[in-house]
Amino acid sequence: MTETQPGGTRHADGPFLMDVTALSQLLGALEAAGYQVIGPTVSDDAIILSELGSAAQLPFGWGVELAPGGYRIRQRSDTAAFGHSAGPQSWKQYLHPPREKMWSVDRSGGEFDVVPADEPAPRRAFVGVRPCDLSAIGIQDQVLGRGEHAGSRYAARRAGVFIVAVNCTEPGATCFCTSMGTGPEAGPGYDLALTELVSDTDHKFLVDIGSPAGADMLAQVPVTPAGDGTTGLARSAVAQAADQMGRSMPADALHGLMAGSYDAARWDDVAQRCLTCGNCTMACPTCFCTTVEDVSDLSGEHAERWQLWDSCFSLSFSYLPGGSIRSSDHSRYRQWLTHKLGTWHDQFGSSGCVGCGRCIVWCPVGIDLTEEVAALQAEARQAEAQQAEAQQAEAQQAEAQQAGSRTPGARAGGEQQ
Amino acid sequence: MSPVPAAELAAHPFLRGMPDGQVAQLAEVATAAYVPVGHRFFEEGGHARRFWLIRDGHVALDLSVPGQPSLIVETLGAGDMMGVSWLSPPHEWQYGAKALEDTRTFELDGAAVIARCDADPALGYQFFVRLMTVATRRLHSSRIRMLDLYAAPGQTGGR
Amino acid sequence: MTSGYAVPAGYAVPAGYAVPAGYAVPAGYAVPAGYVVESSRAETRDTVTLVLRPGRQPIAAHRPGQFTMLYAFGIGEVPISISGIAAGPELVQTIRAVGAVTRALCAAEPGQHVGVRGPFGTDWGVGVTAGSAGVEPPGTALSDPAGKDLLIVAGGIGLAPLRPALLTALAARERYGRITVLVGSRSPAEIAFTAELDSWREAGADVRVTVDRAEAGWRGNVGVVTQLIGKVDIDPAATVAFICGPEVMMRLTARALSALGIAETDIRVSLERNMRCGIAECGHCQLGTVLLCRDGPVLDYARARPLLAIREL
Repeated sequence: MTETQPGGTRHADGPFLMDVTALSQLLGALEAAGYQVIGPTVSDDAIILSELGSAAQLPFGWGVELAPGGYRIRQRSDTAAFGHSAGPQSWKQYLHPPREKMWSVDRSGGEFDVVPADEPAPRRAFVGVRPCDLSAIGIQDQVLGRGEHAGSRYAARRAGVFIVAVNCTEPGATCFCTSMGTGPEAGPGYDLALTELVSDTDHKFLVDIGSPAGADMLAQVPVTPAGDGTTGLARSAVAQAADQMGRSMPADALHGLMAGSYDAARWDDVAQRCLTCGNCTMACPTCFCTTVEDVSDLSGEHAERWQLWDSCFSLSFSYLPGGSIRSSDHSRYRQWLTHKLGTWHDQFGSSGCVGCGRCIVWCPVGIDLTEEVAALQAEARQAEAQQAEAQQAEAQQAEAQQAGSRTPGARAGGEQQ
Repeated sequence: MSPVPAAELAAHPFLRGMPDGQVAQLAEVATAAYVPVGHRFFEEGGHARRFWLIRDGHVALDLSVPGQPSLIVETLGAGDMMGVSWLSPPHEWQYGAKALEDTRTFELDGAAVIARCDADPALGYQFFVRLMTVATRRLHSSRIRMLDLYAAPGQTGGR
Repeated sequence: MTSGYAVPAGYAVPAGYAVPAGYAVPAGYAVPAGYVVESSRAETRDTVTLVLRPGRQPIAAHRPGQFTMLYAFGIGEVPISISGIAAGPELVQTIRAVGAVTRALCAAEPGQHVGVRGPFGTDWGVGVTAGSAGVEPPGTALSDPAGKDLLIVAGGIGLAPLRPALLTALAARERYGRITVLVGSRSPAEIAFTAELDSWREAGADVRVTVDRAEAGWRGNVGVVTQLIGKVDIDPAATVAFICGPEVMMRLTARALSALGIAETDIRVSLERNMRCGIAECGHCQLGTVLLCRDGPVLDYARARPLLAIREL
């Protein structure tokens, strides 16, 4: 197991300094090594993820303004390539695609031939993976790629991935990775991690090596050992970002809070606003739920099964013959939030939230889960206080009664039990 | 029919936990009965005077349907109490009751039991708590059967 | 390359969810294995038992209470209880026609192909020694109640997943104390496996049946299945109960048994939710803390009760 304290995850060598001009060499080296390079780029007034032909396609000088139900790109005052926060997409569209063939089956001549879908998994390099998204990949690995899923299509795609993470120095207004323990510094799992250092005169990256593959790749790029001064500057920029989160999650143990909140009145409140559109589940980098679609051709001899992203906000999600289990909006929002922050721990051993804030940004009515959790917490505390008060009153009453009956006769009579 | 020793009556689940003195009062108006399979305890619409504590056997509560075999509403067996129509006017049986097997019962005279309950409210309380428990259980099971739980979804008014 | 990706701190694999070393994911796990319908028997008006013979490769050995995902060509896949024990590699599965896929499966004729994935889920715990030759798949198998009385309570088609547990216990009759089977059915015509009830009695089980609605000629019990509980001799401390039926029926039965003094950990229920994958990756079968295809369908009532108590969970 890798250690997680600052610096603990880094390769013994480094860190290094890389000039911005070397970024295109790094991308070129990745391409030469057979990777399809995927990274952020500006398209249709958003920063999306796309295959990059060159480093020039990175969103140099672009930032984003984030708000509940709001996303705008803006021109930055500098030329930073990674001066933006989470966009509408996440890496799950590559590792866990929205629609894919699972298998096909032919029945002809009395045979029943099932052929697993065997799309060659392209080796991909993800450039610009935020610490929150790196954690999200780790969470999906746990759900879809380990244990009995070690032979899954997901696992095959995942095994080929090279990760260039980018530490955060400028969190967005809807970010709360500090609360979730997933950022702003990248945890383990990257091959290379960059920290962008940009000023009027200078544009550099501090580079940490996270794996032997990362070291091999960096060996093909002109870098110099980073001095203590620059390293310190980069580290403190990341450390400072921890205090600049636009949102925060209550510090209480969310697992327990969710387990105790099934009857909360707040669910009715949020259900009044929630459209149950499922946007949050599509934008979430860890939401993994899928459904299937069976199709057959006109001959009736060939059929296929496809897997599609599904959402717990749809009525059909919990359908049993007779009706849907979660028919109310209230129960479907509750399912999503209690799963994400609570029962995910029971099912998969961690939280399902990485604090990227996408669900807040892409909610058409701006529902903010940090606000919902704060309200649930306030409700739980109020209930606790009322209970404590009632218990105290009861105890006082009992004490008063006991004092009244504390006579030798009563004790001898065994009335105290 | 033969008179009933209080200790035997006390062993019936319906009277479990009732103080001995109270059971003794009921034993005074109880008789032990044995009926063969096919015996009809009462007919729908008949005058209701008695109730039974079933010791063993199997009894069907039924309704007669013109042109068809009688319809069984519910079956009762060992430990069950049978018959409440004697309790209130018009003192008419709502169903019929027929032994599906050889059956042993304790048979109690309703009016005599009421008279003893009137005279001894403590007995009355104990008796009616038990009667209410039986009634509640029967109501509960009727409601559950109304749900038609085992029907295929959408098949009938069920789920 | 990051294939050697380490589990980050805080993302520990929960105990029981890790695959034991040496366990190979068997055939018919993610992709269906081809099976051929060998025989089909109508149990009731809308329920059919199929015996399925493996094509090239059988799925892994199953235990009483587990289920498979049965695939009807081009139509879809549904979770179906394994309802019997075959001498060979055949699978015995009982299906009730309630939708497009189950209707197609019920109509399947001998010689027809179906796809099978599985076996999946937890089992009743009876005869857990099966498959001991290799490494057991992950899951939380309940312990074998050897030496205890078995009380099996079935509602309607709920008898199907209980049947292999009963047959396994009857085949090792001396291993258990009393074996009691209480069956609740809508009507006499809708009692599944009705032809076998006497053979179970002969093999040493006390079998009692009750119906919601009697038909002409019915000489048996009329009433809810919980009423039968009061008619049989139960030693609460020595009894392990298995319940399967509609959820309301299971709650009522578990409550009645709990009131008799049977510990909630000795009451096992088999639960149902929407299932798409059977392998804990589609998210559909969540019931609060559990994924029913992986942690269920069989849960003890101590675990199930709080989950069933939350509306629309």
